[in-house]
Order: sequence, then structure tokens, then C-alpha cells
Amino acid sequence: MAYSSIVYLLPFLGAVVLLYNGMPKKYRWWVLLLASYIFYWLNSPTTLIFLLLSTVAVYLAGIFLNKIQDGFDLSKKALDKEGKKQLRKIVGWQKKAVCACTLLFIFGLLAFLKYYPFVSENINQLLKMIHLESTLPQLKLILPLGISYYTLQAAGYIIDVYRGKYRADPHLGKVALFLSFFPQIVEGPIARFDQTAGQLMEGKRSTYQNLTWGAQLILWGLFKKMVIADRANPFVAEVFNNYTEQSGAVLIMGGILFTVQIYMEFSGCMDIVAGSAQMLGIDLPKNFARPFFATSVNDFWRRWHITLGAWLRDYVFYSVSLSKGFAKLSKKAKEKLSPFLGALIPSAAALFCVWICNGIWHGAGWKYLAYGMYYYLIMLLGMLLEPLFARCATAMRLNRDGGAFRVVRILRTCLLVVGGMTLFRAESLGAFGGIVSKVFTDLSPQQFYDGTLLHLGIDGWDFIAIAAGCVVVLIVSILQEKGFCMRKKIAECNIVLRWSIYLSLILAVVIFGAYGPGYDQVAFIYGQF
Amino acid sequence: MEELLEILENLKPGVDFPAQTDLIEDHILDSMSVVMLVGELNDAFDIEITPVDVVPENFKTVDAIYAMIQRLSDD
Repeated sequence: MAYSSIVYLLPFLGAVVLLYNGMPKKYRWWVLLLASYIFYWLNSPTTLIFLLLSTVAVYLAGIFLNKIQDGFDLSKKALDKEGKKQLRKIVGWQKKAVCACTLLFIFGLLAFLKYYPFVSENINQLLKMIHLESTLPQLKLILPLGISYYTLQAAGYIIDVYRGKYRADPHLGKVALFLSFFPQIVEGPIARFDQTAGQLMEGKRSTYQNLTWGAQLILWGLFKKMVIADRANPFVAEVFNNYTEQSGAVLIMGGILFTVQIYMEFSGCMDIVAGSAQMLGIDLPKNFARPFFATSVNDFWRRWHITLGAWLRDYVFYSVSLSKGFAKLSKKAKEKLSPFLGALIPSAAALFCVWICNGIWHGAGWKYLAYGMYYYLIMLLGMLLEPLFARCATAMRLNRDGGAFRVVRILRTCLLVVGGMTLFRAESLGAFGGIVSKVFTDLSPQQFYDGTLLHLGIDGWDFIAIAAGCVVVLIVSILQEKGFCMRKKIAECNIVLRWSIYLSLILAVVIFGAYGPGYDQVAFIYGQF
Repeated sequence: MEELLEILENLKPGVDFPAQTDLIEDHILDSMSVVMLVGELNDAFDIEITPVDVVPENFKTVDAIYAMIQRLSDD
């Protein structure tokens, strides 16, 4: 049941909104929990057990951490300063052990189910190379729906409880709802317990604004997904599946259109997800903030898949860079090498861990590791060369905040992102190498305009629909970037204008949306992670 | 406070820190510079800033950073 399907949007979401609002306030969260488990059951019945295992594990660990903390708070009153210090140390170790075991369990499930086939295949190849007979068995494992998302939510919850950010919730059902909330389970956003749990339990009735704004957001997401992303899909598939037969020009166009496709699809899905939650009076954390206006790769990742970046920042980047080991290393480097390197080492090491995690989070394969390293190297080079850039800009009297320079930086970022997306979409690391080689050795630039592009899965009308859709999204994005709230402005329009806008969008989806004969329903790309 | 301002000005020369109302939202301090700043603050004030303390509220303004230093010094 895809989020863009009629089955989800009408019977399922419609029934949940009606039931939720029809229930007494204190039982509304039960409707959400039931709906979330039904949604999961309908989509992936055989893997529900893994969601339950992770839920029970973090719930029990949270309760245990509460007990350890309560025991400490009670005992410390009767102790002197030295006694308190000793007890704090013991309690710290106990809490660390509980947290580490829980993380090992939930990440172990993820690692086994997601990475075992990749790891075993590589180990077997290695064993073959050194002429060893024994091999690891090849298992056909089903990846549980949303495991990469709910595992990060579960890990974030238990780390926050361990760090003392908040107390663990004593109700299993509430932890279960936080981890399984149906609009989020397939593609995120990756929420923190203190961001959504309160809202999920509150049982606030949906207001007229919740319903209309939520529906508008869903419609906007459908427009992005069906008019732009799904229409671009046949071209992207044709180009990347047969990359050896294409010229450099066609492959560049394939990279650009895939970048458009994945943005429209993932951000469109997030609009449908956020709209669904808003219809229930729940605000989910934002996952996109117009990433193609970013002026650097760092800025791009602050605007693209925001909740994944924030998760990695809070639980990986700061954990590594602020660890005692790196603090000592940084201090030594500052004294013996230079203050600049002393400051750079912990950030560079932590960033390496972040991008390894980011790469393998996206999938089990060498190309995903390379994808992470691609962004790591760009960011590391940016950090190393920043003092040089600053000196050059001063010497050339360049205004780095000026409009013209900003446009150049945006275009440079887009170019780097298209490069990263091409690697992401390529069948393998070898295929990406083949694509890059083609771009430099067989560009055939005339194919940009001689009609070749119109015979690769889509025709001229498709290109016009994609371009027109992109222009609409661009105009809306520019207005949003300037702080303009579109839905608020639409709500202020008179009824004729307001409904003209709604009907135009509905008609655009119905007339220009890619569905029916000749189009397969395209699964959400990020749903496969 | 003067020592803090000196550290901040060394980290990001040319920024008028006392006048800034949101160092995080305005991208004056990103995660890299926060890590560098934390290292400097730990050394200068003999405190231990942990990942739990690294939240936007503690790094939003010079006053917020100063309040965090004082709180951690008292602990």
C-alpha cells in the first residue's frame, strides 16, 4: 500500500481520520497504534516480528535505565561527596552496559538482515581467492519494512534516556506507537521521542485547518511524485540500465533527471507523510528545506534528508568528536603540530564515521560506501582549503556573500550533487566508473539537442510536463525561501481563486500524472532502505 | 566573558558575536565549529562539555554559551 495509492489515501487514511476523531480523547492514540500495526501487517506481514522485537527491547532497556537512575537518586542522599562519586561511576557503567547491549541487539538485527548477504558474498570471494574450501551460507533474507528508519528512532530513544535527556516511557503501547506510526514507518522522517511522542499520545482533535492544510500537502506531494518523478523514471531506467550503449551527453542528462526524480519523489513522499500526520493534528519534523538552493555541500546536507543528518550529527558526530580519546589527541596535535590541525583532527575523524554510516545506511554495497566517501572527501577538502579560499577571496576582493558569487556556489553545489546522485543510481561502482569514463571519452554533445533524448523511454511531451512541473516547484521554492507560507496565503484567497488553485493541482495530477497503460507504479526509492 | 569572546573571535574572525541573536540558525556556528569551540572551552575553563550539552539552546548566543560554562563549572 504505497502512500501515493488510492487505497492508502482514501479508504485507509480516511477511515483512520474518521475513527480517530470519533473516539474519546484518551483512546485516540489506541486508534493510531492499531492503524499503524494494520498498515505494517498489510505491507509486510512476515517481518512484523522484527519491529516487535526492537520495540520490546528498547522499552525494557528504558525501564531498566529508569530503575538504575532512581536507585542512584535514592542512595546518593545518604552518601558523602566521595561516596557519591564512586556510586556515580558504578551507575554510569551499569547504564552504559544496558545502553550498549540494547544498541547491539537492535543494530545487530539491522546488520544481519540488511548486510549479511553482502558481507557473506564478499567473505566467500575472499576465501575463494586464498583457495579455502569453506564458505558462509547464502541466505535469502527479507528486509523488514522501514527497519532502517525505526531502528534509528529506537536507538535515538534509548541513547537519549541513557544520556538523561528524558525518562523512558513506562507504557509499552506508547513506545510501540512512537516507533511504528504509520505515516513515518516506510521513509521517515526519523523523529526523536520528544518531538512526536507527546503529540501522538495527546489525542488532539483534527481542526478544519489541520484537515485542509494536510490535504493540500498531500496533493502537493502527489504532484511532485506523479507528474515529475514518475514521468522521469522510464528515461532514468533506460539510461542507467543500458549505460554502455549511451553517450556521455545522454548519461549526463540521466544523472540530472535522476537527481530531479529522487528529489521530487522523496520530498513528495515527505509531503504526503507530513500531510497525513497533519490531518491527525500531528506535526512531524521537517526533512527537506529546498536543498537545491544550498551554497555548499555542507549546506546541502543541512537541507536534504534533514532528520538523518541530524541523527548522525547528534549520535555519531558529537559522540566521536567530543570523546575523551579525541580530546586528548586534539590537544597533543595542537601542541606538537599546529592549532589548525589540532582543531581539525576530531572533526575530520568524526566526519569520517558519519559518512561511513551514511553510506552503509543507504544500502549494502561498495557503491554506497563510495557514495559516503564521495561526500566525506568533498567536505574534508572544503575544511582543509577553507583558509586558502578565504585568503584568495580577500586578495581578489571577492564578496563571498554577494549575489553573483552565491549563484556560482549554488551551481557548483548542484554539479557535485548530480555527481553524487549518479554514483548512487549506478548499478555498481564499476558501472559508475564506466559512466564517468563515457562522459570524458564519448561526450557527443550534439545529442543534447538532436532528438536522441526523445527516444529513451519518454517523448517530447513528457519532457515538457517534467519541465513545467519543475518550473512550478521552483517558483514555490523561491517563494518559500523568501519566507512566504504558501498554504497560509492560499487560505487567505477568496473561494474562487482558492478552489481554482486546488482544481489546477488536482487536474495536473490527473492529466499529467504518470499512471495507467505504459507506466508501472514506481515504488518509492527511499522505501527500499 | 572576555575570555569567551576572545575564543569566539579567534574561531570566527570578523563576527560581531555580542550582536548575534542566533548563532546556530544563522549558520555562524556549524557542527564543525561547535566541536572546535567545545575543545577550546574545555581547555580554557576546565570543564567537560558532553554531547548532551551540545544542543542549540546552549550555543544560540554568547550569553547562552556563558551560562552553560558557568553551569558546568558549578557541577
